[in-house]
Amino acid sequence: MELILAKAAFAFYAAAMALAFLYLFYKNDAWSLWMLRLMGVGVLLQSASFGFRLHSFWLIPENRYFLPINSFFGALAYLSLAVAAVFYFVEGRHRLGILGAFVLPWPVIGLGSALIWADPKTSGLVPALQSYWINIHPMVLMTSYAAFGNAFGVGLALLVQEHQIKSRKPSELCYRLPSIEELDDLNYHIIAAAWPVLTVGIIMGGVWAYNAWGRFWGWDPKETWALITALIYAGYLHMRYVGRLRGKKAIYVSMVGFASVVFTFLGVNFLSGLHAYLSGGA
Amino acid sequence: MALFRSIRFNIYVGLAIAIAAAVGTLVPQTPESPANVETFQLHHAALSRVYHFLGFFDLYHSPWFMGLLALMAFDIILCKLWNRPPDPDVVSLPPEETNEVEAEKHLSMKAEALRLKPLKAVLVAETPYREAVVKAREILRAKGYHLREEFSLPQGSAFLATRHRLQRWGSYTTHIALVVILLGALIKGVWGFTEMIPVLEGSSRAVQNIPQWSVHVDHFRVRYYPGTMNPSSYESDVRLTDGEKLLAAKTIHVNDPLDYRGVRFYQASWGAGGMFRKVLLEIGGKALELAQRRAEALPGLPFRVEADMMLPDFTITPDGRPDTASLEPKNPAVRFTFYLGKNKTRSLWLFMNFPKVCLVEDEDGRLSHAPPPPFHLAGVEPILFSGIQTAYDPGYKVVAAGGILWLFGTVFLFYLHRRRLWVLVEPRRKGSKEEMGASPIRLSIGGFSSRGPKSYAAEFGSIIKTFEAELSGHAEIQETRNNIQEVF
Amino acid sequence: MNLLLAGLNHKTAPLPLRERLAVLDPGKTLHRLRSEGFSEGVLIATCNRFELYALAPKNSGRGAEDLAGFLEREAGSPIGSAAYRMENGDAVRHLFEVASGLDSLVVGETDILGQVKDSYALAKEAGMTGKVSNVLFQRSIFVGKRVRTETAISVGPTSVASVAVDLASRIFGNLSDCAVLILGAGSMAQTLARTLRSRSAKEIAVANRNGERGRELASECAGKAVPWEEFPKALAIADIVIASTSSPTPIVDSETVGRAMKSRMGRSLFLIDIAMPRNVDEGVHGLDHVYLYRMEDLETIVAESLKNREGELQRASRIVHEKASEFSRWLDSVMEGREISLTHSEHGEIS
Repeated sequence: MELILAKAAFAFYAAAMALAFLYLFYKNDAWSLWMLRLMGVGVLLQSASFGFRLHSFWLIPENRYFLPINSFFGALAYLSLAVAAVFYFVEGRHRLGILGAFVLPWPVIGLGSALIWADPKTSGLVPALQSYWINIHPMVLMTSYAAFGNAFGVGLALLVQEHQIKSRKPSELCYRLPSIEELDDLNYHIIAAAWPVLTVGIIMGGVWAYNAWGRFWGWDPKETWALITALIYAGYLHMRYVGRLRGKKAIYVSMVGFASVVFTFLGVNFLSGLHAYLSGGA
Repeated sequence: MALFRSIRFNIYVGLAIAIAAAVGTLVPQTPESPANVETFQLHHAALSRVYHFLGFFDLYHSPWFMGLLALMAFDIILCKLWNRPPDPDVVSLPPEETNEVEAEKHLSMKAEALRLKPLKAVLVAETPYREAVVKAREILRAKGYHLREEFSLPQGSAFLATRHRLQRWGSYTTHIALVVILLGALIKGVWGFTEMIPVLEGSSRAVQNIPQWSVHVDHFRVRYYPGTMNPSSYESDVRLTDGEKLLAAKTIHVNDPLDYRGVRFYQASWGAGGMFRKVLLEIGGKALELAQRRAEALPGLPFRVEADMMLPDFTITPDGRPDTASLEPKNPAVRFTFYLGKNKTRSLWLFMNFPKVCLVEDEDGRLSHAPPPPFHLAGVEPILFSGIQTAYDPGYKVVAAGGILWLFGTVFLFYLHRRRLWVLVEPRRKGSKEEMGASPIRLSIGGFSSRGPKSYAAEFGSIIKTFEAELSGHAEIQETRNNIQEVF
Repeated sequence: MNLLLAGLNHKTAPLPLRERLAVLDPGKTLHRLRSEGFSEGVLIATCNRFELYALAPKNSGRGAEDLAGFLEREAGSPIGSAAYRMENGDAVRHLFEVASGLDSLVVGETDILGQVKDSYALAKEAGMTGKVSNVLFQRSIFVGKRVRTETAISVGPTSVASVAVDLASRIFGNLSDCAVLILGAGSMAQTLARTLRSRSAKEIAVANRNGERGRELASECAGKAVPWEEFPKALAIADIVIASTSSPTPIVDSETVGRAMKSRMGRSLFLIDIAMPRNVDEGVHGLDHVYLYRMEDLETIVAESLKNREGELQRASRIVHEKASEFSRWLDSVMEGREISLTHSEHGEIS
């Protein structure tokens, strides 16, 4: 049932993404509205799917009260859900319509690759993860990753718009996209809202690590890359404040930050270390 | 000095730390995996010398990396304590109220000053001046504003009202929190220690950093998820002693250490080292026990057999030698050496999970398939060790305090919208005090928000509406260009 | 009954003639039309066209030529070939074309639809509409909307000013946050300034070599005058800069703009150079956050969008023809006393 719901959610996300892409080229406000509705249904379906996963986790006595994100499938599913939910929030608030095409691919890819490559079986938590912190630390971090994913989409839109206007031959798309300044502000606001979440999540991880392993910080690859991500975004925030860095260059910095997010989430698994918990990969 | 105070320089320092940290995740690190470092040195001799010189093999503890962290801490302190904010509205220091209010007063002297505010409104109302001043104050208070200053001006009364002033402390708190965390790490580096103590079940070992202390593991237990070899939990019954004196005793689990005077003992790992108590053989339907390293004659067989080695998670190396993939007894295998008289004849590997498989090990230690002997391995009772991470971190409380400070700092900084309103109430008719007190008024409001111009514009609008309703007047809102600075 | 049309537009009639007709009071014209014995009548009068649609009883023997005669009397001067005369099916198709913007100077423009609506409303108020003209005009508005939604005939900017405004809004979003600086005092600059003003640009500043002329222009578009020497400083505050001086050499170079950008804290700057020869050095466009559009860039965009509109003409005409012949069949059926129904749509313009 969990899988069926996840697949249905995937179908809804994909449909919403298709509408978002259509909306890039043909202006029809109904599409943008339907995109948001389909997204909403997708989020609900995926939440329900996550609910079933919770249930199957509940049935393993040692895992009761813990969230099922110890596998690739669970983590990717939660991440996609968070990206979609954050987008739903951002879009609902700013009503830009067009951003779907830049953000929706992420939950579609995330959930899609989870469905294709990851093993959906729930497996028991290793003893180190049996702590209430598992309900907090990874969730907080992945929520911030989701927000950064949204900011990345906004950044892409800005680059497209900037290119359109700089080219002196703006196409239809130019009139459809939000303005450069709006996109720039939105990118900043999402990052400014997500950065404290990221850093606090890292510190929480330190507290957990102290209680589980006896050290707050150990330069484990995952810790280190999360720190690198935080440093890059801190650089972005300071550059915007001090250097008044805006527009294209600021977006480049934030994109490096997002690349670091992706590497923190995925790449680090190839570097092993203490955080190599995610099981059931390809 | 100016260089260290420039935030731009600090950005570069942060960048350097980020790059260095990234390098550290790509080069094997001695504290984590000394074996990988050795392998690396074996394969890249020349590069290794460069890396060794640069301290890349223990990058995070190398002097230059420590130096970078220290430089950042130093710069932050310098920046936060000595950098003058460029604008009285953008104060990131511990607020020097007097100066700011002086500046404010100066601005408020003229109604014209309100024009500088990003959001402003002028309201013309019939409520008498004297009453209006009182009401305006009430409204602002009801809206959650704190009346900071009030002054009487020749043309009327002015006041400054603020909300979420904590935001101004955000940047300061966040940066100080970072320094506190680094300080905590420094304390740990100087006075703290960590060491890994693997203790065989039933034995004890001394703590190297406090040699008079010994850790005893009386029992070690591991439980598995049903039907798998994945442990669901493991725990040790631990005693800590000083000579004969018992200091503390506890059953420690992962995530649940023993704490004695700040020294903590964590259940960190476990495994089978290759020692075992006994081996269970089955020969012709009969069970037989063998102790480790004792050659015994088996019934009905001409030779003697000795169980001389166990690998908990048997695997074969690329060059065909026996090895163990992990320390968990996932695929236990035992080597039996056969003796005819005093002569070693051959060595066979038998497996608990694969009774039909038998590998023969030659003189060089290479493996090849062989027909199984007339017995098979029915069980092995390995002696497990419990990996006890011992840590003393006197800086942890400092780090935790820094973390909490950070939480508050970032929340203040990024989620609070510091808002201020400047309000000027003027009587529209001039004259004697009495006349002015009864005169209809003009009320000018200017607003500022540290962030969130949109939500602020909405709040401003609602405040103006309240003013209109309460003072029965009519207002005009003007919004000037959004040049609200994002405040750090 | 016959549906008649006599009218003239920007293509057929010279400006003086159109001007003379434009000053007429439509209400009175319609009144006179009735006294001439036409049973229903609607007058579409805009600065580009003057068209009379009227219904004459079949037995009256009146045709489009008679309506043209009435038009001539109204104009007070001979019209001759300046006016077109159409009846029934042709008249219907013409009205649908007008409402769809196919007959407009700028193909697909949307103002005309509103003007058709207003003309109809005015005739209705004057009591000059009946069954045929009610259905005809409601139908024409429906067709006008339909053509615009089903084809791209009304898509894209049609004037340099609207391109400039569109682009500005794609850079800054809400123009109410934007300050405008005009260098020089060309008439095109004034038009642009007015357009920006109408889109609620925050403030307009004018810098002109001739201070007097600058002040004049400033007061015309409710802006403020800036001394010519201070325009480099004003660049730091302005968001949209319109350059239209007659200077023979560029007056805004990348160095000046670069310096201004430093104090703009990364906010974009949109420069529109409509002067000939150029006022703004091309190198400016290479700076970050600076977007320089020259007159020809804007014109290219306009031409491009007009070309796109013309490309849609054929599809639009097809819809118009289809709807016109359908309406003609209805008109015939009504005249023969056996009314058929018109296709309805969700727009429900048929009453």
